[in-house]
Amino acid sequence: MKRKWPVILIVLLSAAVIITVIVTEHTSTLPGRRPPNPFAYDVDEFRSVDPGMIRWKEARQVELDTHTPRAIAYTDGKIYLAADNELQMIGSDWSRMMRRILPGAPTCLAVAQDGRIIAGMGNHLVLLNSDGETIAESETLAGESNITSVAILGDNIYAADAPGRRVLVFNRELELIDEFRGDSGVSEIHGFIVPDAHFSLAVNPENELWITNPGIHALQNYTPSGRLRSYIQRTSFTLEGFSGCCNPVHFTFLPDGRFVTSEKGIIRIKVMRESGETESVVAPSELFAGGTRAPAVVVDNDGNVLALDFDRNMIRIFEPI
Amino acid sequence: MERKKTKSRREFINSSMRFGMVLALGGIGGLALRSSTKDQWVWQIDPFKCSWCGRCATNCVLNPSAVKCVHAYELCGYCDLCGGYLIPGHSDRSTAAENQLCPTAAIERKFIEEPYYEYKINEDLCIGCAKCAEGCSAFGNGSLYLQIMHHLCVNCNECAIARACPSDAIKRVKGSEPYLMKGDFTADGGET
Repeated sequence: MKRKWPVILIVLLSAAVIITVIVTEHTSTLPGRRPPNPFAYDVDEFRSVDPGMIRWKEARQVELDTHTPRAIAYTDGKIYLAADNELQMIGSDWSRMMRRILPGAPTCLAVAQDGRIIAGMGNHLVLLNSDGETIAESETLAGESNITSVAILGDNIYAADAPGRRVLVFNRELELIDEFRGDSGVSEIHGFIVPDAHFSLAVNPENELWITNPGIHALQNYTPSGRLRSYIQRTSFTLEGFSGCCNPVHFTFLPDGRFVTSEKGIIRIKVMRESGETESVVAPSELFAGGTRAPAVVVDNDGNVLALDFDRNMIRIFEPI
Repeated sequence: MERKKTKSRREFINSSMRFGMVLALGGIGGLALRSSTKDQWVWQIDPFKCSWCGRCATNCVLNPSAVKCVHAYELCGYCDLCGGYLIPGHSDRSTAAENQLCPTAAIERKFIEEPYYEYKINEDLCIGCAKCAEGCSAFGNGSLYLQIMHHLCVNCNECAIARACPSDAIKRVKGSEPYLMKGDFTADGGET
């Protein structure tokens, strides 16, 4: 009996060590075993979407052979992609038709019906022919300017300058001829409020100029001379509106004039009627899990939505169901 | 004939020892001089790497944490609908407690002119939880972010929050430039 005590002691000590190791391992804060963040910023309840609202399906993903995608445009069966310091033209069969080095990093793109291309280059515009050769350059804008979106309407080119909170109007020779700041004179409708580098404009199939006012969650319709004509304003974390301080980030139009909007924060793409009601969801936020940037959107000739996913470096094609 | 004087082994060892001690003392003195004159290194958060995990609030040896939210006023949009101030799904854009995102009401909101508001951080109330920084980065422009406050930080040799940081955002920086302010540098490390 006397000889067994050391053995029992060793067994008890070993058991104590094993239990200590297990408990320590269980309660450790090593990666993978950390407790959830008690201060988590939780918007999950707003991510869920009624499946009946999702009336689009993701048909295809096209990975890009670029490092940093920057902007996308679509005209007449061709995709125009600005990425890194270059411009690419991609055909409907996804073959590359043109690739040109640009004199800097493009920030936005627009293509006229005649094939001429306008590229925003931060503080100036560049006009290129359909082969991607530079035809003209605008003067460099004074002060802190960043052209984040560009559109063509009639003989004018409209460029959204986010830091300047203004829309610049250029002629076809890229001469600056006018600017406006969205002041309507009506007290409840403020001029452009642009908290970050997301300020977007587009022309709808009816040749109407629409501009975001992200600081008040609005899409605003302006005359070519810059007078506010009408607006849609929707604030909500749900699908019915826009959330945060900088949404919608990008938008475009379906062939019948409905809006396609892309949002950040809760990254999602949805379709809004011209009256402002949300009609359907193109891509719910679960399709952009882990992403941080709202995709740029264009619509092709068939009415499909093409989303430039900056986080995944790909173009994602969504077809109506 | 004068005999050439030669050193004995004992004398040689003694002189070598003396030379070695002088050399060692000189080295120690040099090192001491160098450490007293070189830059002190302190801990700081790279705001472009921060993933707002909440561990700055819970893992700092100080309570409340030496990490506080700071506000880049030149970046801020002064928005009425601030994603860093208002709780997601807020019922009203007011200062009522139920609308505030900050768990300690450390963000003070002041009306400037329609529709602009100024936001200030009350450092005494801030616990460095990063909830506002996450909301501001996700929905806004990231003008709210975390920094280690050096009038509070005890500059531990092994920083507890650096050890717990899942995104490797906390690093040593020169004491002469102890803060990594947004606007002074960019995500890729370049100066603006």
